[in-house]
Amino acid sequence: MPLPAFYRNVATLALIAAFAAMCAYGTGPMGFDLHGKPIPELAGPGVRVVVLFFAASDCPISNRYVPEVARLSREFSSQGVRFWWVYPNVGDTAAVVEQHNREFSISGYTLLDPKQTVTAMAHASTTSEAAVFLVNGGRLREVYDGRIDDRYISIGQERPRPEHHDLEVAIAAALAGKPVPQPGGRPVGCSIVFLQK
Amino acid sequence: MKTQRIAVAVPVLTAVLYLVCRLPEGTRAASRMPARGEGAATLAAIGALGRSGASHAEDRETWSRDIAPLLYRHCTTCHHPGGAGPFSLLTYADARRWAPQVLAVTQSRFMPPWLPEPGYGDFADVRRLSDDERALIQRWIDGGMTQGDPKEAPPPPHYDSTWQLGQPDLVLDAPRPVALQAGGTDIFLNLIMPYPLKETRYIRAMEILPSPARVVHHANVFIDRLGSLRRSHPGDWEDGVPGMDLLMDAGNRFEPDSHFLFWKPDSPALVEPGGMPWRLDSGNDLGLNIHLKPSGKPETVTMRVGLYFTKDPPVHQPMLLQLAGDDKLDIPAGDSNFVVEDSLTLPVDVQVLGVYPHAHYLGHDMEGWAILPGGEKKWLVWIKDWDINRQSVYRYRVPVLLPQGTVLHMKYSFDNSEDNPHNPHSPPVRVHAGNRSEDEMSHLWLQVLPVNTPAKGPDPRLLLEEAWMRNRVSKSPLDRLSLYNLAAALAGQERFTEAAIVFRQELSIDPKNARTLTALGAALEGAGQTRQAEESYREAIAIGVETGVSSCDPRFNLARLQVRSGNYSEAEMEFRQLLESCPEDAGIRSTLGAALLGAGRQDDAVREFNRALELDAGDPTALFNLGAMAADSGNTDQAVKLLEPAVRAWPASVDAHEKLALAYAQSGRLNDALEQLRSAAALTPGDAMVHELLSQVLGDLGHTQEAIGELKQALQLNAGDADGWNNLGALELRAGQADAARADLEHALRINPEHPQAKANLARVEGRN
Repeated sequence: MPLPAFYRNVATLALIAAFAAMCAYGTGPMGFDLHGKPIPELAGPGVRVVVLFFAASDCPISNRYVPEVARLSREFSSQGVRFWWVYPNVGDTAAVVEQHNREFSISGYTLLDPKQTVTAMAHASTTSEAAVFLVNGGRLREVYDGRIDDRYISIGQERPRPEHHDLEVAIAAALAGKPVPQPGGRPVGCSIVFLQK
Repeated sequence: MKTQRIAVAVPVLTAVLYLVCRLPEGTRAASRMPARGEGAATLAAIGALGRSGASHAEDRETWSRDIAPLLYRHCTTCHHPGGAGPFSLLTYADARRWAPQVLAVTQSRFMPPWLPEPGYGDFADVRRLSDDERALIQRWIDGGMTQGDPKEAPPPPHYDSTWQLGQPDLVLDAPRPVALQAGGTDIFLNLIMPYPLKETRYIRAMEILPSPARVVHHANVFIDRLGSLRRSHPGDWEDGVPGMDLLMDAGNRFEPDSHFLFWKPDSPALVEPGGMPWRLDSGNDLGLNIHLKPSGKPETVTMRVGLYFTKDPPVHQPMLLQLAGDDKLDIPAGDSNFVVEDSLTLPVDVQVLGVYPHAHYLGHDMEGWAILPGGEKKWLVWIKDWDINRQSVYRYRVPVLLPQGTVLHMKYSFDNSEDNPHNPHSPPVRVHAGNRSEDEMSHLWLQVLPVNTPAKGPDPRLLLEEAWMRNRVSKSPLDRLSLYNLAAALAGQERFTEAAIVFRQELSIDPKNARTLTALGAALEGAGQTRQAEESYREAIAIGVETGVSSCDPRFNLARLQVRSGNYSEAEMEFRQLLESCPEDAGIRSTLGAALLGAGRQDDAVREFNRALELDAGDPTALFNLGAMAADSGNTDQAVKLLEPAVRAWPASVDAHEKLALAYAQSGRLNDALEQLRSAAALTPGDAMVHELLSQVLGDLGHTQEAIGELKQALQLNAGDADGWNNLGALELRAGQADAARADLEHALRINPEHPQAKANLARVEGRN
């Protein structure tokens, strides 16, 4: 007998919390690096905030966000923020991503998410999309999930330049220990190709 | 010699194109955008259905049978590996991978790109998906994106990165690759490609090969007849000149822009209709106004243009006309519905071949229509939700005939509110017309072909130009460019006195304009006011000296005046001085040749004419004079070869028609000769010599009665011509009209009692009797 919707949602939240706890304690890989090596945790010594940027090598809008995400990474990395380039699509194999990162001069932490573990943890559905987690005693708490900024309104609808830098504001608030403003609109780009279960 | 050098600056309409997005966030965008939750629901539904059973699979739409044909027809021109689209849609796996995006953009009608509303203009190559096609995509996705039997799929279209029309006759490369930054705003750049040939070529088709294709959103190709953009950016033109729109110097000949050379990725080959090639001459530059979209990584962009030639010059001369409300573009910040209108009455019958609506980022609703003389309203185009990123030229499936007296209308609205997400300013600011992307424009371009043109009368494009420029001046009386072009259009119709008035009107605004003074001089010269013309040229030269601006044109015209007055030695001296400062000017070279010819120095003249043709293979003065010399010396093949292009360059030159007629007649092409002489007679019905020549050719063709008629016309104009009366008598004799022949031969002998042929012919008449 199916659960009423309310209880089903509660169950989902509980699962997510369990995931967070698992990854925080390193009991299972969060994903793999470009050499196929499991990544046990997303944070690390001195890391206060974890930012995940969901990317796809073949998604044009995701690719167009590379310079902006690289800028944020440069600006915040010295403040205890760890950026991850997360590739959730199965077609983005290590070889594909390695070439893509080289073409786009992406040099930061890269995570392949073939089982979409991190994707589910972050509730991501789109490339490009970002999630922000506070690191608290080895646990990760998601405080932001959504667009990078408001440059794209929908596919084909684009501002000349962004007016609201939602992700940047969220990271700054997280670092400052302030309430994190939520995104002002949905992310625009390519749907993540979810695994069929 | 009938050279004329009147500067005509046509605003280069060409220009301009851009791209970038638009769509107000709160209103229009919101209505077409699913909320976040809805998007997620769609994806979930796709996944769920994809996993469901296939119990009714045979009833469902399949990729092989239903979707592949649709994608191949509408999408894969761009969406193929290496194509302009960001991803491929050639295979089933591709279609499945991108199904959510395909669904979203087809439902919103963002793709395929097509802005005109159906029913408001009957266009060729419509890209708009039908409601049935959109529903088909929706059902396929809802039904689980079944592949079906691969054997049912049509063979995929083949795309490669080579020329679609085969190897071009000429390939032009941008001088340098463009370094496109990884991010930031879109780039609008004008790349300049000098035309390297010395010969004139007619272009029947053009292709553009960008690399990488995905970052080049569109290109608007323009012809810079004088290389003015290159000359105004001497140090950096090879890197491209930034800008979304342009104004160019169109040179001294009336050559209005005539073709829409608008390239976009889904129409890589631009093939002109039969009889309407466009032209490139020695010294021209081809320009590419390109819109580049950063991809996220640094890109090195190269552009290649392939040109396909035809030997046949155009037989139809279209023209681009513009309606515009730029003079009224003063859009208050925050105004979401600022409207401008314009109208223009057609002075001649035209067929409208295509239309190109253009605005920048604030444009919203754009309407164009015509009111026919009988009051009937005919829609030309209606775009309800303008998007500069998807702008295009739209060609009519069947040319739209609009008779003289039709009033063209445009009405554009602009959204300068914060709700327009494409607004370049945040917060909004007051916006005016301008060439920068953050300025605005309100243009409705029409490609028109004059039809039902009377055999006699001025080039109908001059009448269109006059009407267009009068309209512009009526809206902006101080618009110097429009005043200049209006005056030039009048001068082109040989309405020199009116032209001089308008040139003076412009000079009242800008008294120190050397170019206008030169043009005024030419108009005064045309009106027979030689002394005033000379004064005007001298004033232009003085201003040139004072301001450091080149005074080649007025000095050229002044020297040419001296040629006309027979003062060849002074003219030669002036031309030789001119060549020191303007050594590459073919016109100076050839007119110097004309001066030398006038002074009897034929060999020197020929040398200068040949050098002129080396600089500009289409120089009409050199072509004409060399051709005339060849005709006079009986070198008929060479004469025809030179004089045919001279006549095309100078269709109003009686001398050129006459000389070509002579060359044709010498080579036995009497019917061609007749055609040239009839053209000459249409230009100067009061020229006795032309009628005499016509009579001679008609007589040789055996059309004796017509020959008699032409000769009678000639003698009405020149009654003292004893040869003419004798010839008339001879023709009448041939026609068996002995009495008339006798009378006319006696007439010849009264003028010249010793006329030997008349005496002999009269004896023959008497002998018959």
